Amino acid sequence: MALTLETHGQDEAQVVRAKGEVDLYSSPQLREAILKAVEVARHEAHVDLSGVPYMDSSGVATLVEGLKAANQRQKKFVVLAPSPSVMKVLHLSRLDTVFEIRPAESGA
Amino acid sequence: MPAMSDDLQVRVRTDPRLLCSVRWLVRGYLQGFGYSPERTEEVVLAVDEACANSIRHSYAGNHHALLVLSFRALERWIEIELEDTGTPVAIEKTRAPKAEHIERERLTPGGLGMYLIHRAFDEVLYDPGTERGNRVRLRLNRTQSTGT
Repeated sequence: MALTLETHGQDEAQVVRAKGEVDLYSSPQLREAILKAVEVARHEAHVDLSGVPYMDSSGVATLVEGLKAANQRQKKFVVLAPSPSVMKVLHLSRLDTVFEIRPAESGA
Repeated sequence: MPAMSDDLQVRVRTDPRLLCSVRWLVRGYLQGFGYSPERTEEVVLAVDEACANSIRHSYAGNHHALLVLSFRALERWIEIELEDTGTPVAIEKTRAPKAEHIERERLTPGGLGMYLIHRAFDEVLYDPGTERGNRVRLRLNRTQSTGT
């Protein structure tokens, strides 16, 4: 399932919506979109993972990179609606308590 | 030629876009042995991580080399073997990192991947070559399955 990415801006946040699998092949595309959103965002960058059924460690490392980039710029980085399988990888990575995770985009 | 005990053997080019095909294959193979969907997905992720580690480290990102994946159902184990002809991995890097040693600030895909591999499989046997190549046997206990 190829990864597609859409980014749109809201008042406070840039939202990257990902659909498809995130792995060694596709994570560089997600990385580029996230880092751009962090750069452009006024206050918050969100990544919506509700359409991501699979994520490997390269995807997790990409999210960590986004979080670090946001922290460096005093911006907030939010993970939206991760699927159960993505949530499990975040939990195994002991990162589920590091990210701010919200259930859906309406919280933007 | 596949060994007589192999159910399946495939050669996969080390192009990361082919990892989705590897996942499909692993998922399909395990379906025949009655593992739970959750257990199956842990194993699918772990094989993906093993292949990604091989591409990243053994082959240093070369997308035109080959991985050989062999699947076999042994009496005690389901065994998935991964072979490459790249640079032998340092054996100390193949050991299972403890969860508390997955450092958030220095998280790398390789380190987390090795943790996920060891977590998913009951036995992980790395056999780096002396000059070239690596072989890893990933073993899953058959008593966890309900199939034959």
